[in-house]
Amino acid sequence: MSSSSNEEVTSYSPGWSNVDVNKMLAPATTQASIKLSIQSVNAWFGKKHAVKNVSLDVKENSVTAFIGPSGCGKTTLLRCINRMHEMTPNARSDGKVILDGFDIYDKSTDSAMIKRRIGMVFQKPNPFPTMSIHDNVAAGLKLNGVRDKKLIRDVVEQSLVSAALWEEVKNDLDKPGMGLSGGQQQRLCLARALAMQPEILLMDEPTSALDPIASSKIEELVQQLKEHLTIIIVTHNMQQAARVSEYTAFMYLGELIEYDQTKDIFKNPHKELTEKYISGRFG
Amino acid sequence: MPRLLDLGLDRIRNIITDMARLSESSVFSALEAYESESNAKKHIFEQSEKLRTLQDEVTDLAIELIARYQPVATDLRFIKSCMEIAYGYSRFGRYSYDIVDVLETLGPLSGCNKHAVSEMAITVRKMILLSVNALESRDKTAAPDLYQMDDTVDTLYRKYLRELVSNLSKNSSDEPRCYISNLLILRYLERISDHACYVGDSVYYIITGSSSPRR
Amino acid sequence: MGKKDKLSGEKSRNASSDYRQIFHEVSLKHASRRRITDKIISILAIVCVIGAIIPLGSILLEVIKNGAAVISIQFLTQPPGSIGSDSGGIGPAIQGTLITVGLASLIGAPIGILSGIYLSEFAPTGSGKGVKERAISFFANTIRLFNDVLTGLPSIVIGIVGYVTIVLAINSFSVWAGAFALSIIMIPIISRVTEETLKLVPNSLREAGYSLGISKSKITLFIVLKYAKDGVLTGVILAVARIAGETAPLIMTILGTSLFFTGLTGPVDALPLKIWRLASQPYESAHAFGWGAALVLILIILILSASIRIIAHGKGIRVRTGTI
Repeated sequence: MSSSSNEEVTSYSPGWSNVDVNKMLAPATTQASIKLSIQSVNAWFGKKHAVKNVSLDVKENSVTAFIGPSGCGKTTLLRCINRMHEMTPNARSDGKVILDGFDIYDKSTDSAMIKRRIGMVFQKPNPFPTMSIHDNVAAGLKLNGVRDKKLIRDVVEQSLVSAALWEEVKNDLDKPGMGLSGGQQQRLCLARALAMQPEILLMDEPTSALDPIASSKIEELVQQLKEHLTIIIVTHNMQQAARVSEYTAFMYLGELIEYDQTKDIFKNPHKELTEKYISGRFG
Repeated sequence: MPRLLDLGLDRIRNIITDMARLSESSVFSALEAYESESNAKKHIFEQSEKLRTLQDEVTDLAIELIARYQPVATDLRFIKSCMEIAYGYSRFGRYSYDIVDVLETLGPLSGCNKHAVSEMAITVRKMILLSVNALESRDKTAAPDLYQMDDTVDTLYRKYLRELVSNLSKNSSDEPRCYISNLLILRYLERISDHACYVGDSVYYIITGSSSPRR
Repeated sequence: MGKKDKLSGEKSRNASSDYRQIFHEVSLKHASRRRITDKIISILAIVCVIGAIIPLGSILLEVIKNGAAVISIQFLTQPPGSIGSDSGGIGPAIQGTLITVGLASLIGAPIGILSGIYLSEFAPTGSGKGVKERAISFFANTIRLFNDVLTGLPSIVIGIVGYVTIVLAINSFSVWAGAFALSIIMIPIISRVTEETLKLVPNSLREAGYSLGISKSKITLFIVLKYAKDGVLTGVILAVARIAGETAPLIMTILGTSLFFTGLTGPVDALPLKIWRLASQPYESAHAFGWGAALVLILIILILSASIRIIAHGKGIRVRTGTI
């Protein structure tokens, strides 16, 4: 088995000219710092123990995928990271989530502030129906007290560019957000999350409601965005995890079974359960 | 409940098994033809062609399975190794053909000293059997054993080469056809033993996911 | 995939084509009967609809027929003349209705809407386990219970409450009392409709808001309420239309008078009250005035509904018929 070449891979299509393909194919180096450390996190829905003592470290500027069969707790774990889990009635959690050395579950932390540093994109696109495209992207800023109109307009443009939506909507910023197609709406939600300039972006099955072309656009965006953000993506599509992520965590019935570099998990997993799942022998 | 991929994997497995038996019989027939001076060229040529066809079939099937089913982990390693092993077996067939081609081209060799070839043939026969069985029994110790035997073969080869050079300078009236035919056949046997080692490597890769330490 | 599967496959194929045959025959057998039944029920439905419209239509016709004759500028603006005479009008009643209903809405709508917001957003019927959660839950359920009870309360009882609370307190029949009583009728209606409408707002919108780090109150006001504003508005219109026609509470609270508005602490007249009084008098002219007043009341409510819909439509809000 020959090791991967260390030669420079030059860009091969105009659309990718601004992406460093080497960075794309090579994982974040092991020297990369740890952005987020999940330590002994448990989560419950009433009596149901949905996440059982999970610990893992997420490297900065990497894409990490959570995979596993339905009900394994991957979405719950994701929602523990930005403290959305506790907003569900009857839900509680414990453990630590350390962001840049600071525990976000600390009593003194403002939960809303965490959500400004850790953005989220949901499974079904949910733009605000009563707002225009511009207002949708600006919603987070405006409703958090930002008043400077010019600043808002600049951030809106930058966010829509980052979400690869600007060219399609730049002349229709006042049109309602709901008038866009499914794939565009999801990119709008992405722009809305990016407008808050988060450090970490959580994506909960972001392409499961989209057609293949729209899905691949989102996957391309993830590759571009990881240069500035750390991304965690929950997906039930294993091929997507294999395509998009550098690190993969496999969960089953609430437990973390295996967490490793994606290429190793998909070529030679350590745990038999992991092998069974990714080979399609269950779930 | 078998996956769709499993049907394809079984088919590859069957073809490889066929190729294994075919290439084993091919090499043994060639060696026998050399020892007993019989004419087996047409027969072995057909076998070699069949092996080539089967190798193409394995490659095509492997690519199709990868494109359609996106196999991962053990399945993926198995498919990759099968492509390498199929190539190895087709090489066995090719070298068998080359051996009987020597017989045909250089004419009757009954007067030659066939001792070196016979000696090497013993080890090579063992290696072929080991490599053919390694895949079926998923034997990851086959690789190191095969490399040991390969060392023996290499030693024999070099020894004969040295003998040949010294004999040529001493006695120039010996039949040149014998020397040439011996040299060629030993060369082919040495290559067969190399490929047997590669087959062992591929089996090791399926089981452990890492390349053999010897490479 | 052995022989066995092939056989059972054939068997099931035969079975399904047998079933198909059976179902086909059965459906053919009843086809004509079904068509006739269909027609009969459609006709029955249309007849019922007509039957429902007829009384409503006939009332409207009656009111228009009898009241139109009396309408004149004088009728609309003048205070009533002496009892039994032809002259005068119902000016004070119109003014009184507008003032009382307006004031009642100003009191009732905000309280109703805020109560609905609280019940939907801040105290849902979740089965929280903590003591605090249980207490809030109990409190909220009590409020809901009260709402439901109040909606069914006879309006005359509400009038008595108004009488006791305000009229006796300030020692005179007054606009305050009337507005107070009417607002008590409004609040549960608006609260219920607001709560139900807000509950229909998909939770994904709230989640989107939370994920942006927006505070709960801002999410409720600028995202949830904005989405639900047509439903809430419908609730308000329904409530206003309802109280505009209430008579009983007004009897005990504003008394009714022949004079125009003299101040919030004084008595005032109102259309429903006036209609009742006019109808109880024995004079022809009074009855005629009564029809006229009824027509005016119906027109006011119609104009109110229509104008709110027009304004709402202009802002892109769709007004649906409410959930109650």
